[in-house]
Amino acid sequence: MRKVLCAAILCGSGMFLGCGAPREGFQPVDKDSVVFWDRQVTESAEFLKQIVDEFNAAHKEAIPIKVERAGGYDDIFRKVTASIRARVLPGMAVSYENMTAQYIPTGAVAQLDGLVTDPDLGFSKEQLDDFFPAVLDTNRYTDFNGKMYSFPYTKSVLMMYFNKAVLAQAGISAPPATWDEFLDQCRVVKAKLGKFAYAVNPDCSTLDGMIFSLGGEVIRNGIPLYDTPESIRAFEIYESLAKEKLAYQIAGGYDDQIAFGKNEVAFIFRTSSGRPHVTMLMQDRMDQWGMTRIPQADPGRPATVLFGGNICIFNNSPEQIRAAWAFIKYFTAPEIMVRWALGTGYLPFRKSAAEHPDMKRFWGEWDYNRAAFDCLSFARPEPNLAGWQRVREYAAGALRKVLEGSLTGRAAALELQQQAAAILKQ
Amino acid sequence: MPRTDKMKNALDGIVNLMDGLLQWLDDRLEARRARTRREGLLAVLLLAPAMTLMGVFGFAPLLAGFYMSLFGGPLGENQFAGWGNYIRAFNDPEFWNSLKVTVYYVLGTIPASLVGSFLVAYGLHRILRGRGLLRTLYFLPYVTSAVAAAMVWRALFMTPDGVANLVLELLGLESQRWILEGKGILHLISGGWIPQDIGPSLALGCVMLFDIWHGSGFMIVVFLAGLTAIPRELEEAARIDGAGALRVVRHVVLPLLSPTILFLAVVSTIKAFQAFNSFYALTQQPDQPLFEPTTNVVLYIYGQLYRWNDYGYGAAISMLFMVAIILVTTLQWRFVGRRVHYS
Repeated sequence: MRKVLCAAILCGSGMFLGCGAPREGFQPVDKDSVVFWDRQVTESAEFLKQIVDEFNAAHKEAIPIKVERAGGYDDIFRKVTASIRARVLPGMAVSYENMTAQYIPTGAVAQLDGLVTDPDLGFSKEQLDDFFPAVLDTNRYTDFNGKMYSFPYTKSVLMMYFNKAVLAQAGISAPPATWDEFLDQCRVVKAKLGKFAYAVNPDCSTLDGMIFSLGGEVIRNGIPLYDTPESIRAFEIYESLAKEKLAYQIAGGYDDQIAFGKNEVAFIFRTSSGRPHVTMLMQDRMDQWGMTRIPQADPGRPATVLFGGNICIFNNSPEQIRAAWAFIKYFTAPEIMVRWALGTGYLPFRKSAAEHPDMKRFWGEWDYNRAAFDCLSFARPEPNLAGWQRVREYAAGALRKVLEGSLTGRAAALELQQQAAAILKQ
Repeated sequence: MPRTDKMKNALDGIVNLMDGLLQWLDDRLEARRARTRREGLLAVLLLAPAMTLMGVFGFAPLLAGFYMSLFGGPLGENQFAGWGNYIRAFNDPEFWNSLKVTVYYVLGTIPASLVGSFLVAYGLHRILRGRGLLRTLYFLPYVTSAVAAAMVWRALFMTPDGVANLVLELLGLESQRWILEGKGILHLISGGWIPQDIGPSLALGCVMLFDIWHGSGFMIVVFLAGLTAIPRELEEAARIDGAGALRVVRHVVLPLLSPTILFLAVVSTIKAFQAFNSFYALTQQPDQPLFEPTTNVVLYIYGQLYRWNDYGYGAAISMLFMVAIILVTTLQWRFVGRRVHYS
C-alpha cells in the first residue's frame, strides 16, 4: 500500500516537474491569428479594436491580429512570464521597458532592428527621423548591446494639472514655473484657504521627472544617481510639503484626480494621458483648470519624464513576427497615430503629427490641449534595465517615508541610492 | 506391541496433531490474508480520488516548488543555485521584516479574536431573547467578501477626510494617516518616545482590527456549538456548590471548552500565517509597489514570484515558511494540547 502511494506521488511529481523543464522554441497561443495582449479598456479598447479591424481588412493575405484584454501592466507581466515558462506565447504584448528587459534573456522577445531598417518592411531614414528621438531611444536596451526589442505604443509625459478656481481663491493668477514658486504657491493656498495644495501619488516616475526638471539624472553608466544634489533637492521638496502640511498622500487609485475635481487641492502631477479622466471630472468647468509642464529649476532648459507602454513582439514563429510588425508599422503611421491620439488622449509621437489638420483643430479647442505635445521634445525616458522595477518600488517607498516623516529628504535619497545600487549590482 | 512401536505411534499422533493444528492455522491465516488483500484493495480504491487530488494539487506542486527553489536566474529556470536561495533568505532583511510583520499580526489577532469571540459567544449562549438575530448579525462579517469589506474600511480610514479622521477631529485629536502610516502604534501613542520601528505599524493595526472584525463570526459560531455541548447539570451543580459566575466559567466552562479552543487556536493561527486578502485589499495597490509596513511573508512571496520574477527565491521562502507553520502548529499541539480536557 505504502509502495503504491509513493509510486503514485513520485509519478505525479515527475510529470509535474517535467512540465516545468526548459524546452526549446516557443509556440503561438493561436496559430490562426496574432494575439495581442493589451490593457486598454472602455472607449480606448473599442477604438483599438476598430483600428485592428481596419488593418485586418486591408491585409487579408496576412495572419489577422486579434486583440485580447489581458488586465493591467502587472497582470500582463504575470501572464507573459508564465507563458514564457510554458513556451507558448502571444504574438505581441504591451510592455514597459523594464518588463521587456526581463523577457529578453529568455529569448522570448524578437529583436526589431532588422525589421525597423528593412528596405521593404521597415521605415526609411526620413520616417525614422520623424519620430521624437526619446520614444525610440527608450526601446533600445543598454543591457543588451543597445538593440531594439520593443516599439513605442502609448506615449505620454508627466504634467502638472492646476486648479484655476482654487488658485484664484488664493489670489494666484498663473501656475508656478519653478519649484520655488510651486512651494510658495502651496504655502499661499494653505495659508489663505486652509487646504492641502497638492495630493501626492508617491511614484518613481514623478520623482524621476522632478529630478530631470531640477537638472539631474537618475542613472549614468549603470550607476544610480539618487544621491546627487538634484535628487536630494527633489526629496527635500517633498519633505517641505509634508512638514508644512502643504500636501497629503493619497491612499491609491485616482483619489488625487477626484480631489482635484472637487476643488479640494490646487495641484496634481499625473501623466498627460489622464487628461480625458480629469476632463470628465471637471465636466463643464474647462475654464477652471489647466495643464502645463512641471515646474523647473531653469525654465530655459526644461525637462520632464516620458511615460507609456511599448509593444514587444514574441519569438514564436516568423510568420507571426512579420504580421505583428506589419501591424505596428500600420499603427504608427501618422494618420492612424493622430486618430489614436485624438480618440484616447495619448500623444502622437511623430513630429509630422503637428501638421495634421485634425491635430491643429484639437489644439485650437482648448488652451492646454497642445501643452503635453510640446513637452515631447524635452521629455526623457527612465532607465530600461531589468532591475529597474525593484528600484521603482524602493523609490516609491522612500517617498512614502518622507511623507510620513520617518526620514528626512536627504536620508531618504541616500537610502534609495544604496538600495538602487545593490539591486543594479545584482 | 513393542515399546518402540508404541513410541512411534505416539510420536505420529503428536506429529499429526501438530500438522492438523498448523494446517488449521494456515487456513485461518490464508483467509485473513485474502480478507486483508480485499480490504487493502478496497481502501486503495476509496482513497484514490482524494489521494489523486492531493497528489496533483498538493504533493506534486510541493515537490515542484522545492525543485524550483533550487534554481535562480531569469524566470528561475536557468541557473542551479543549490541551497543558495535558502541561504539568501537568512541574510535578507526584507524577508526578516516580512516575518516580523507576520508575527505581529498573528500575535495581535489570534488572542484578541479568541477572547473577544468567547465573550460574545458566552453572552449569546446566556441570553434567551434575540439570540438568533444577534448570532446572524455577528456572523454576517464572516460571510461578507473580504475584498468588498476592505473597500469599505479603506473609505473609513481614508486620509485626510475619512470617517476615522472625522471622529478624531470631533474629539479634538490630530488626524492620522491610518492605512498609509508606517510608523509604529507605540511610537504614535507615546508621542515619539518609543522608536517608530518598535511594534506593529498603525497600518498593520488597521489590518488586524479589520481581520478581528471579519473573522470573529466564525469563531463565535464554533464557540456557541461548543458551549451548547456542555451539560447544563455541570454548571448547575457548580452553582449549588457555591461557585460564582467567574468560577463557573473558569473551572467548568473553559476546561470543557478546551478542545474547541485548541481547534480554533490551531486553525486560526495557520490561517493568520497565510493571510493575504485583507493585507492586499486594505493596504496595497495593484500596479503600485508593496507597502513594506504591511508586507507579510505571503505578500513578500507574491512579490518575489509575480512582481520581481525571482521564482527560485520565492519558492525557497515558501518552503521555509511552510516548515515554520508546521513547527508552530506542532508546538501548539504539544504544549496547548496537554491542557485539553476531552471528557
